Amino acid sequence: MPTPDPGSFRDPASHVVLEADKVIRLLDERGLEGWRALSGTDFFRTAVAEGRLIDAVETAEPPPGSAAAIEHPRLPFISYPYEWTFSMLKDAAILQLDLLEGALSAGLTIKDATPYNIQFVDGRPIFIDIGSFEAYREGEPWIGYRQFTRQFLFPLLLRAWVGIPFQPWLRGDLEGLTSRQMARLLPLRKRFKPSALLHVRLQARMEERMAGRAVRQELGAAGFNADLILTNVRKLRSLIQSLEWEHGVDGWSTYVECSHVTRDRTAKGEFLTEAMQRLSPTRVVDLGANDGHFSHLAAEAGALAVAVDSDEAVLDDLYRRSIGSGVAVAVTELANPSPSQGWAGVERASFVDRARPDLVIAYGLIHHLIYAASIPPREVVRWLAEFRCPVILEFVSPADDMVAKLVGNKLPQELHGDREESEFRDLLEPWFEISAEQTLTSGTRVLFALDPRPS
Amino acid sequence: MIFAYLDPGTGSLILQAVVGGLAGIGVAWKAWRSKMGRGGKTDPGRGESMSEATEEGSLPAEP
Repeated sequence: MPTPDPGSFRDPASHVVLEADKVIRLLDERGLEGWRALSGTDFFRTAVAEGRLIDAVETAEPPPGSAAAIEHPRLPFISYPYEWTFSMLKDAAILQLDLLEGALSAGLTIKDATPYNIQFVDGRPIFIDIGSFEAYREGEPWIGYRQFTRQFLFPLLLRAWVGIPFQPWLRGDLEGLTSRQMARLLPLRKRFKPSALLHVRLQARMEERMAGRAVRQELGAAGFNADLILTNVRKLRSLIQSLEWEHGVDGWSTYVECSHVTRDRTAKGEFLTEAMQRLSPTRVVDLGANDGHFSHLAAEAGALAVAVDSDEAVLDDLYRRSIGSGVAVAVTELANPSPSQGWAGVERASFVDRARPDLVIAYGLIHHLIYAASIPPREVVRWLAEFRCPVILEFVSPADDMVAKLVGNKLPQELHGDREESEFRDLLEPWFEISAEQTLTSGTRVLFALDPRPS
Repeated sequence: MIFAYLDPGTGSLILQAVVGGLAGIGVAWKAWRSKMGRGGKTDPGRGESMSEATEEGSLPAEP
């Protein structure tokens, strides 16, 4: 039964319904006009063939009430810009600009510029909203410019120039940063760069002074043309290509250098491989993936692996190493994973709703939730059970060296109970059956293969 | 006209002409002057003149 996509409603000309293995985009007469303009071009065929634009086939009979229905493949995992790393948002921004340039050369334009129109498949960005394309009419400005700056350019500047991660901002405000906010955030040494003056400070000033006056028609009459858009697109691309984020080596990024990681890696890999052979999962979610070692193992065994971590630096590195590998990445803090939000609280689905795994890896995770984030062990187990699939879990006892570091200045009476192995086994009992287990050489860590009990 | 469901933002629209260099600055200036340069008179049928609203502190007349 097709269900409407709760995130597809802003464009009245086009909206999406979801089926089990495909996505149907329904178009009205205006949307159909855009599709006709797009689908006949070499630009469209080339972009689809190169994997930069999602495959799109018009169905023979649109449902009543629609002028046309376009069928797309359903993507294996949907992620949102606030779960992307710097390099992902940068690659998505370049794709958006490349497609706009290609579209203009083919007599088309893209009427919006939001990263929600881009997804990552096999480590590469792909544009998914064919409803955004329209025939370009001479004299029209680039309607999506402001949105491009708010949702692509400013978040990238925030990371590259100001040193602040953009994800919390994009998660908190789905429209992105305003030019006024960005202008106030610019550090002194960047304030007088021509690109900062133009796209940030001048835009902020003009937005403020010109608000409420319609000028689209006046611009056309004054001689605005596609060349001006192309100049802007090329300047923006060169600016964005120049942006770099130097990962400081901090926190998690040094994790692989910890002795227990290299010591236990082989045993954990073999334990996972055995479970993979028994279960043959197609979708694995690796919670606390760090450098993605186990995600890659899962992907090599043929699954789509979603590597999840709160450390943007390691995931940025993983993203760049994972093109074509079957590993997807998502930055989210597991003590506070992406919620269901947006219009009516459902426009953007929660991470857990989108993950839909048939195997969860929780290696090196639960002690961080229990000791660093103060989540009671009982709640951790209940949360893992919510995925309703087998879980490969590493239990870390209170006697472990890493726990001593995480506990820091907390006194034993300030910690939650149920931390000992025997207590933890009791917590697992109502939710999971232990199908395999293995104590690691340290004696303080135990691997469990957990099968959910029928609910 | 392109069917836009987004509000492109007036300042941002004019700015993208400015980004286009000298030719664009000319376009931006011409467009802004044609918007504002009629002595603050309202565009026929569009019912807005912000210069009246801001300079004289009065509300734009209803069309």
